[in-house]
Amino acid sequence: MKHLVPLSAAAILLATTAAIAEPGKWTDEPVRIVVTFPPGGTSDLIARILAQYFESEYGQKAVVDNRPGAGGTVAADYVAQQAPDGTTLILGNNAPFTIAPTQFETLPYKPLDGFTHIAYLGASTPALFVQPDSGITTLDEYIEKVKGDGITYGSSGVGSITHILGKAVDIELGIEQIHVPYQGSAPAIQDFRAGVLEAYYDMLAQNRDLITGGETLPIALAAPERSPLFPEIPTFRELGHDIVVENWTGLSGPAGMDPAMVQTIHDTVEAIMDMQPVIDQLAQWGISHTEMTSEEFTTFVGGTIDTWAPLIKAANVNGG
Amino acid sequence: MDIITGFSQGLMVAMQPENLLYCFVGVFLGTFIGVLPGIGSMAAISMLLPLTFYLDPTAAIVMIAGVYYGAEYGGSIASILMNIPGTPSSSITCIDGYPMAREGRAGIALFTSAIASFGGGIIGMVVMAVLAPALATLALNFGPTEYFAVILLGLVAASAVSNGSPVKGVAMVAAGLMLGTVGVDITTGAERFTMGIPEMRDGVHLVIVAMGLFGVGELITSIRANATGAHQNDIDYKKFYPTRAEWKSMFGPIWRGAGIGSFFGALPGTGQTVASAVAYAVEKKVSPNRANFGKGAVEGVAVPESANNSATQTAFIPTLTLGVPGSASMALVIGALMMYGIVPGPRLLVDHADLFWGLVASFLIGNILLLILNIPMIGLWVRLLRIPYKYMYPTIIVLICMGVYSLNNNVFDIWLTLAFGWAGYLMKLFRFEPAPFLIGFVLGPMMEEQLRRAMLLSRGDPTTFLTRPISGTLIVITVLLLAWSIRSALKARRQGRAMPMLSDE
Repeated sequence: MKHLVPLSAAAILLATTAAIAEPGKWTDEPVRIVVTFPPGGTSDLIARILAQYFESEYGQKAVVDNRPGAGGTVAADYVAQQAPDGTTLILGNNAPFTIAPTQFETLPYKPLDGFTHIAYLGASTPALFVQPDSGITTLDEYIEKVKGDGITYGSSGVGSITHILGKAVDIELGIEQIHVPYQGSAPAIQDFRAGVLEAYYDMLAQNRDLITGGETLPIALAAPERSPLFPEIPTFRELGHDIVVENWTGLSGPAGMDPAMVQTIHDTVEAIMDMQPVIDQLAQWGISHTEMTSEEFTTFVGGTIDTWAPLIKAANVNGG
Repeated sequence: MDIITGFSQGLMVAMQPENLLYCFVGVFLGTFIGVLPGIGSMAAISMLLPLTFYLDPTAAIVMIAGVYYGAEYGGSIASILMNIPGTPSSSITCIDGYPMAREGRAGIALFTSAIASFGGGIIGMVVMAVLAPALATLALNFGPTEYFAVILLGLVAASAVSNGSPVKGVAMVAAGLMLGTVGVDITTGAERFTMGIPEMRDGVHLVIVAMGLFGVGELITSIRANATGAHQNDIDYKKFYPTRAEWKSMFGPIWRGAGIGSFFGALPGTGQTVASAVAYAVEKKVSPNRANFGKGAVEGVAVPESANNSATQTAFIPTLTLGVPGSASMALVIGALMMYGIVPGPRLLVDHADLFWGLVASFLIGNILLLILNIPMIGLWVRLLRIPYKYMYPTIIVLICMGVYSLNNNVFDIWLTLAFGWAGYLMKLFRFEPAPFLIGFVLGPMMEEQLRRAMLLSRGDPTTFLTRPISGTLIVITVLLLAWSIRSALKARRQGRAMPMLSDE
């Protein structure tokens, strides 16, 4: 985790120069952090870490409220309708904010104007995995196999980030892989280990033990640069294919929150993200944090909608 | 082998005062939460998750596991007394448990449920201790093709569950299958039968269907009949304990239920509800007392309870040894372990043997604690039935609304439950049975998902179901079962007797 030290030092520097507000409690009421997934996933655990440190470090009571369903839109719709008083926040990600705006024809909320995007937390990246004994070790060999016998790959569901990545690979490389959707990555990996599935796309860090145990082989990473966890894995970009698909997470609230309060929440989150146990935990999950101001984060969300829209449309995963 | 040493070491770990205390806290909370309709173990575990930050990992897992199987114990109490399933998997227990309560045999039903749960739990624990590595390998060999074949077998067995007319039974299975298709199709992402309502995108939750059909339906039926009385005005305390004959009739179902339950529990993704549904269907086929199923048979309570409790224990096998969670609650267990830096997987048995064996031993202690906790409570629970309807019914309605709302924090679900309540009332009026409907609804979506996945993987070749050995064997058994039931039906008809299925029409 050495690599994270200079990064976090830079973040502290940034935070101290940019800070207007002190980190601390921002409301006397307990805060609800709405999560778009059922309990247990990384997203849920990040929310629980935030809630725990809000209270233990700053005396800000916070609880996690899981409202899964309909690709995160149930949770986002709910939060958009709450009072912008800092008591309801959402642990946002690309499901309701990046994918849903293109995937669903009608959305009950506005992904940008309907929210105050407060703080960016970080992103993890997916990779392409193949069977270690398949003889495939490079992306070129993979492409050859797809063009020859064809290949079946597992994703964590229709319209999920791993499906979109699979489709992006199809388009960029001019190949056609056979898509087999699962409900989450765990059952896909189970079928992969049983040998019925030839390849899958999933978050790199979640597969760490399988990789070191020699049970799966990642051949290309969809990140802008190589991962410090496994620096030997090349990125699609270096292999000459401009494919970057990241799974981002951030904290947002309803539209119209008081700017001073937004700054306090932002700085509190940044202070927590700089704590060593938090840095270590996030590194375990393969999540790297960089600081964004509230404005930068809003621009970032808008940017992801624009860059992903053609992918989602071309991939034909729009609702009907 | 070192199972004995492992287990005795585990017993030492589980008997440490701290672990003992958290085991007790877990099973106690679990039972309590299980009794509340709709609030399952998942809600309880996620509420307890932050608490585990401060605990030793073994204590945390022991407590979470306690909540998990404690809830299965508690879930049957509401099913038997009020016809509202406390947990999704105990909805099968409603089918025979509630009729028993209506006949004034609530005490026996609760006693049977406690004993069967205990038996199932202990058998599940032994299976986990002895077969964990073997079952994990088996689960790994279960691909989509095998899942489809085993569910097909379950469904064929289930189609014989109806007591009434076979046509109505088949119609109910088909209706259940149809309801199961509501929501976003997981293979294409297309919306099916959602009528443009966003809340319907994820389909209809089992808890809503079960609480509507059983709970609300029952209330609508009896509200006109008897507004001032109570379920039972006089309680015959002699009727608390099963007779010798009833004890004897429990024995077989507990073993069969535990066998089926242990198997399905170990398969990730199927879980307790499928286990109890299939176990009930099979028992319905083989029990000498099958004519009384659905009308208050002791076997009909024992079998699902034994199955769902053994499945709760064996559900830990894929979770811990493969890192593959079979249910949302098990995903939480993995989440909790990962907080401690323990990664579930094949190495867990080696690297964290004390945790694994401590957990196994805590199942034994937890199940004994549950029995001690529950048997004396039976009298108290049965007294609940003396509460006059005018107080009882509003309370039940409030509990149902709270339970349904807590699923997704969504008011729409309450309206949907009401709609299913009316459907349940109409079904009762026209003598359509809810059991085959429920079984079709539980098994249908999973069967479709696995069928389409298997076909994608075989690239459109349907012979894959016959050529893969496990799947081929299961298909042959299914065909034999089908042939046997057709043959026995024809034989019965030739001999001039009415078919047994028609007997109560």
